[in-house]
Amino acid sequence: MNEIMTAFLLISTPGLPLLLAIPALRLPLPWSVHIALLPATVLLFVPGSPAIKLPWILWGGVGLGIDEASRWWLAMSVMIWIAAAILLRTHADHSNNNSPRLTTLILLTLAGQIGAILATDMASFFTFMTLMGYAFVSLMILDGDKKVHRAGQLYLVLLVFADIVLFEALLIAAASTEILEFAAVARAIAQSTSPALYLSMAIIGFTLKAGLWPLHVWLPPTYGSARPAVALLLWVVPVATGLLGALRWMPLGVISAPVPGALLQAIGTATILYAVLFGLIRVQRKLLPAYVAIVATGGFVMGLGTGLIYPAVWNQYGSWAPVFVALVGIGLAIMIASFVWLEKMGFSSSVSNNVSGVVLWIERWPKATIIWKRLSGIDYVPKLLAAWIARWGELWQSHAWHRAFDVGEYLLQRWAFALTLFLLLGMVSVVLLLP
Amino acid sequence: MSWSTTLPLLIVGSSLLPGLAIFFLSEERVVSRTILNLTGAFLKLVLVGAMLWGVSHGHHYETRLPLLPELDLVLRAGPLAMLFVTLSAGLWLVTTVYAIGYLEGSPHRSRFFGFFSLCVTATVGVALAGNLLTFLLFYELLTLSTYPLIIHRGTEESRRAGRVYLIYTIAGGALLLLATVWLYTLTGTLEFTVRGFLSELDTSLHPTLIIIFVLLIAGLGVKAALIPLHGWLPQAMVAPAPVSALLHAVAVVKAGAFGIVRIVYDVFGIEFTASLGLTLPLAILAASTVIYGSLRALFQDDLKRRLAFSTVSQVSYIVLGVAIVGPIATIGGLVHLVHQGVQKITLFFCAGNLAETLGIHKISEMNGVGRRMPWTMAAFTVGAFGMIGAPPLAGFVSKWYLGLGALDAGQSWVMIILAGSSLLNAAYFLPILHVAWFKAPPDSWPMERSFGRHETAWALLAPPMVTAILVLVLGLLASAPFSPLEWARLITTREFAP
Repeated sequence: MNEIMTAFLLISTPGLPLLLAIPALRLPLPWSVHIALLPATVLLFVPGSPAIKLPWILWGGVGLGIDEASRWWLAMSVMIWIAAAILLRTHADHSNNNSPRLTTLILLTLAGQIGAILATDMASFFTFMTLMGYAFVSLMILDGDKKVHRAGQLYLVLLVFADIVLFEALLIAAASTEILEFAAVARAIAQSTSPALYLSMAIIGFTLKAGLWPLHVWLPPTYGSARPAVALLLWVVPVATGLLGALRWMPLGVISAPVPGALLQAIGTATILYAVLFGLIRVQRKLLPAYVAIVATGGFVMGLGTGLIYPAVWNQYGSWAPVFVALVGIGLAIMIASFVWLEKMGFSSSVSNNVSGVVLWIERWPKATIIWKRLSGIDYVPKLLAAWIARWGELWQSHAWHRAFDVGEYLLQRWAFALTLFLLLGMVSVVLLLP
Repeated sequence: MSWSTTLPLLIVGSSLLPGLAIFFLSEERVVSRTILNLTGAFLKLVLVGAMLWGVSHGHHYETRLPLLPELDLVLRAGPLAMLFVTLSAGLWLVTTVYAIGYLEGSPHRSRFFGFFSLCVTATVGVALAGNLLTFLLFYELLTLSTYPLIIHRGTEESRRAGRVYLIYTIAGGALLLLATVWLYTLTGTLEFTVRGFLSELDTSLHPTLIIIFVLLIAGLGVKAALIPLHGWLPQAMVAPAPVSALLHAVAVVKAGAFGIVRIVYDVFGIEFTASLGLTLPLAILAASTVIYGSLRALFQDDLKRRLAFSTVSQVSYIVLGVAIVGPIATIGGLVHLVHQGVQKITLFFCAGNLAETLGIHKISEMNGVGRRMPWTMAAFTVGAFGMIGAPPLAGFVSKWYLGLGALDAGQSWVMIILAGSSLLNAAYFLPILHVAWFKAPPDSWPMERSFGRHETAWALLAPPMVTAILVLVLGLLASAPFSPLEWARLITTREFAP
């Protein structure tokens, strides 16, 4: 009986939101998102690692289950989805004729995201992730202002590319093994003579999905302009599920792949540096979660890269990866909720939240050094060095950097440019990774 | 005559007799015509269901009628035939319901439904044909019965499209006839045989066989809309929506693609075709058509024209699957015969609904139409995502097996074609969905008809809803017994068994 109940729970966790999504197109049920979350919430408290296989679904069967990693992801998702659903109701504009479509899309996104978390094989994961991706991007486009609309369109293009690349990775995996369960694929890829093509496809696919530099540009405008409920979902839906995909699809702890690992570390480092330099120093309050998310993503990807280079390290510390993602998710949710509260209390979110002290210190220290030396009578700095210090100071003038970054962001937000850049990076990666 | 010899004839007759009877009905006899139409369609479906059950249990069904000395008219049910017959019978029923709703109140309905039934009769005949002569006869009947449907509206544009269609298809038919006669003079038989009947011929005849193969593919490639023989298809979209649905999903292009499958498997044999060096050029031709059709679709503002070029692209997946040479790719190609049909008929039904209800013909007129007709556009969305190949829809299953089959056969270049095609499919379908769901609707539609609190007439709405559900079910339950995928596996097992 317990087994039947568990199977029912596993099926209904993504199934119930799917079922509720259909009538929502015409007339959404009240509290439908909360109702849809019930099986997932109950599932969190089911002990052990239950799993089921539905052999008659799809072309090779669908596997659903919950293990240690997915339990963290599911716990974070349930908490954030509940918060998002509450915010959605609080901010609901009942005269809004988008309401039925909005509810449908939210339920489809929920079904896809939770299904991806529970998927125990690549085909199921890919199926649920595709549903989630297109539903969420529709949600962004439907719900947002012009900026979000544009960001949504950019993300849609990236999503199409990501799905195609991941489809190819899936085919390569299926050509290596008949069983597409994550563990079996990891073993098969580890034993294959050239895992590089598969790894490069997976890296490219999830880089596109999760918003890593330089393809993060859809994320800040969405955080800045989307309604709070959608902003809450930005980490948990596209980013965290993309990271889960990377975690599941890569043969971490099974294979030592120094070049792909180093590539991931490089992407992660670039993402962190970019987000810190551009984002965290000077952004508006509402954009802060975006850059925190980007930094966290970069950190996670660096961890994945390390895991690919040193499988033993991954086997020892890899179990902390889900905890990291869950904590970032909850932290971001609290941050966004605080901003909503601050806004309610009358603190405008449009006020620039520059870390002025830091910026001023960075801008002024070279000049201050020279003045101090003159005043203290130790002005024996050679002229050339003084000139370099002054020049360094000019370079550190934050507005000069900001302008450069603004130009970069502007270009990257032109999807054609971003994609060209990305394709070039992809080609270089594939060439580097191929033996 | 026993049940096993009568059943193929009954299946052909179940649409032929109502069709002939409908010709004699006056225009006002709406109820009689509807009863005849629906009875024929239901009866055919039941008979096909019985045959499907029988074939799956190893029963043999064959009707043989003497036609020429030493050449019979043969109708035979095998797994490959059943794949196409089931598709035709199933989609004919929904198309009949749709056509009844679509043509309500319009003139010449008896003529229309008469030819409509003949068209399905010919399609089923093509599917069940047990030899090349029978195939040829029904193939030509298909040409003749679809021509009046294309010109049904009687406008100058439709007449021109009809003329182009007739020129192309008759020329194709002539090539097919020439190749058939030539083949008969060489072999003395035209019977479709598992793994072909030509491999035993003397090697000195191989150059001749290559020429015959090219003639056959050229003849069939017209209906299959392989480039550069596809010119008639985008023009034929001026026909009423049910005819477009029939042309693109059930009958004409499918008959061409099915014919190529028959020639490769049951006339030449796949291994013999490969040994003649014919499969790679065929694969390249199919791949070029896949990309070309998608590229052309990208720049069409007329919705049906975009869908027509999409057909040019998508039907070639079937040929590509066959030409890759390998069991897995063959499964992909064969299953796409059904999957493309169900997806494309959904899209054409929806295009018809938009035209009939709001007067929308162009994509640029579709802003916000998702709010006015949410169910129609929901069905369209499912069909479009199926075409793109998004999981778990039917189109994904086809692409999955094609890609996997290409890797299995060591033809990795096909992966690039599939990726490019998916990208182009997304590029020409997603903008339609974007304008329909996310743009603000205009103050008024080009030519709106009111259907009370419903978005359109039930007879127009139910068929695309049914086929959209089918697109989902065919993908979701791909491994279920009697699914097209299982049938494709069965056919492939037979063809590639050691």
